[in-house]
Amino acid sequence: MSDVTIVVGYTANESGADALALANRIATAAEGLLEVVMVLPSEAHNARVPVDQGYLRYLREQSREWLTEASAHLGADVASKLHIRYAESFAEGLINAAHEFDATLIVVGAAGGGRRAHARVGSVANELLHSSDVPVVLAPAGARDVPVSQGITRITACVGTRPGADAQIEAATLLARATRAPLRLLSLVPIDLPAGLDEHLAELTSAAHAEQVLQDAHRGLPEGTDATVEIATGSTIEAAVQALDWHEGEVVLVGSSRLAAPRRLFLGSTAAKMLRELPVPMIVVPRTLHGKTSQ
Amino acid sequence: MTQQPQSNAPLTEATAAIDAPEGGITRKGLSAGSVGLIGAIVIGISCIAPAYTLTAALGPTVSEVGTQVPAIILLGFIPMLLVAFGYRELNRRMPDSGTSFTWATRAFGPWIGWMAGWGLVAATILVLSNLAGIAVDFLFLAISQIAGNPEIAGIAANPFVNVVVCLLFMLGATWISYRDMKTTQKLQYWLVGFQVVVLLVFSIAALVEVANGNAFDATPIELSWFNPFAVSDFSALAAGLSLSIFIFWGWDVTLTMNEETKGSEKTPGRAATLSVLIIVSLYLLISVSLISFAGVGDGEFGLGNPDIQDNVFFALAGPVLGPLAILVSLAVLTSSASSLQSTFVSPARTLLAMGHYGALPRKFAQVSPRFFTPGYATIVSAVVASAFYAVMRFVSENVLWDTITALGMMICFYYGITAFAAVWFFRRTWFRSVREFFFTLLFPLVGGVILSVLFVTTLVDSMDPDYGSGSSLFGVGLVFILGMVVLLTGVAIMIWQAIKRPAFFRGEVLTRASAD
Repeated sequence: MSDVTIVVGYTANESGADALALANRIATAAEGLLEVVMVLPSEAHNARVPVDQGYLRYLREQSREWLTEASAHLGADVASKLHIRYAESFAEGLINAAHEFDATLIVVGAAGGGRRAHARVGSVANELLHSSDVPVVLAPAGARDVPVSQGITRITACVGTRPGADAQIEAATLLARATRAPLRLLSLVPIDLPAGLDEHLAELTSAAHAEQVLQDAHRGLPEGTDATVEIATGSTIEAAVQALDWHEGEVVLVGSSRLAAPRRLFLGSTAAKMLRELPVPMIVVPRTLHGKTSQ
Repeated sequence: MTQQPQSNAPLTEATAAIDAPEGGITRKGLSAGSVGLIGAIVIGISCIAPAYTLTAALGPTVSEVGTQVPAIILLGFIPMLLVAFGYRELNRRMPDSGTSFTWATRAFGPWIGWMAGWGLVAATILVLSNLAGIAVDFLFLAISQIAGNPEIAGIAANPFVNVVVCLLFMLGATWISYRDMKTTQKLQYWLVGFQVVVLLVFSIAALVEVANGNAFDATPIELSWFNPFAVSDFSALAAGLSLSIFIFWGWDVTLTMNEETKGSEKTPGRAATLSVLIIVSLYLLISVSLISFAGVGDGEFGLGNPDIQDNVFFALAGPVLGPLAILVSLAVLTSSASSLQSTFVSPARTLLAMGHYGALPRKFAQVSPRFFTPGYATIVSAVVASAFYAVMRFVSENVLWDTITALGMMICFYYGITAFAAVWFFRRTWFRSVREFFFTLLFPLVGGVILSVLFVTTLVDSMDPDYGSGSSLFGVGLVFILGMVVLLTGVAIMIWQAIKRPAFFRGEVLTRASAD
């Protein structure tokens, strides 16, 4: 059993089912521990509606039923625990739970029920992305239909030139080793340049630069890591994402934006665009990792 | 709807948590709030919504008892307090989201329990439609005050515009309740503070106008205003009292906040006492100052004028405060808006409990997985309240007035049953201690008897076509028809449910019990 601990933010709807199914799949592949958490609203600062003990108890019972029912869908060979936590917000509750369990990843459903198969960031996921210091996995709508047996077939880490790439490659390596999945280093450099640069020059320098960054990253990987490198091409992020090949059991890692405070997540514009196009789950990694993954 | 698994389904070896205290599931964190003294008072005042309550209830009360409104306010508090003690004991012993429904079922069995739940739901749905109606009036008044065009306030009288805007209000309140959107504590303190200050300014300004000789119909304040025996006859007294039950409705929540108030054990008692002192002082001050300013005659601004009685602040804010009248509009608007939300909670939770125990379709027990609110029950309450308001607006010219009177009757009905449920449930422990004798036998019993007398008297008197606002159908008072239609609809639905869902009505789900 690896030391991967996954906190999954469960809600008794499709989005929660997506999160749980994906978390289950990663935990199975990594032989990790699954902490299924339901976050109930705390009434601590409620100033309008009187608190009703009877209703709170009803909610607790209902949540127990939901959790028990959800746990029936988990494979028998996954170690899992069920928890109910109270917090001001879903994101706050999950981050606290992640610290409590020293979690490697937090998994949530990406959208509140997107219209398309691909992820659109819902308000809950968005809040989490802006405040978590633990990598956040966004389960796209439809993740609940991917069987556990699919496993994790490849980890793709998007490598940029920005600070934060180290933490991200570290996380990718760790996850690849835990799930025994091959690693793919992907450079988005050619597309990720500032606007207004001379096109020809940009192409020339960026291609060379991308090559360089990937080589450096590859060389920096620990011994025995099975990794390939690839450079994304296309005039836009959307086109580049569509041009690449994606496994069904693939997971993509992106770094946090430069705007993020150290050790906090913030989804950059590049990553946000990717998220809209990606057919597979995305993991957003904070600039410096919290907890055991950074050791 | 989610399937209902066995709540204690065995977990497999691999998934069973070792350190789990509750069926393999750990829990942590604050579930209940930690409300301090001020917080509890704020919730109490916010639930009573004095600005809204008085504008809706003052006129109808004056029409029953004339200048003796202050006496009725003081007297009306007594049955409310007595019943609230029984309510508190039940809530302590059997906390349940179904409140009156669950307790009455426990004490008296499924049929009476069902009707108690129905009474609560009907009362809150009536008040929801009245709240939204008042809010519509004041919205147009506020707009006309801002725009400086008095004609805009008259638009609210157009039934089509009125109903459409009212439905929009209802939609907004439903949205907020469904998503459980919360205001911050700070904002809530400001809103309640604003409401209280505006009411103070309003009454002091009225008294100043009286002193300056500018009052509409200056009436000298007399001690007899505080004497309930000066009311002409018992029917008027009963009708006035049943209205004053409505003005204290909601206060009882401060008594039941025992579990979650922080600080000493005395906090809930103190909060309840302080909030009721604040409320009673406010009510007395406003009723005395407005009667003294406008009199109880039926002149243009007289409190006895049927045209202004269903919403007196609406008519009097301008003459009393002049350009500052906008403050009253804002206070009533915020008061009804925040009351809309706290009021939505109670029918929804009772319907949820009724669904949960099989007294209504299972759908009512549905909890929104994202917002943890009784989603289906909330929407049903909103739809029924909206439909009720729309129909009533076209049937009666004085819809607000008649709903308030019918509402007082419904509150007497289900509060009365709740009081008797407390007495009966604790029958084996009445004489255990002096405390139990008073709180589980004497107080709720006397409160329950008073409420039943009020209920029956109001019901009989309201058959008179001149009763209340004077609206009638087929020669019978509209309030009576409203009350009977609501109760008989309840009986009809109950029988239908008893055929479809016999288990609950056989007493198999919620068994009769008593404290021992």
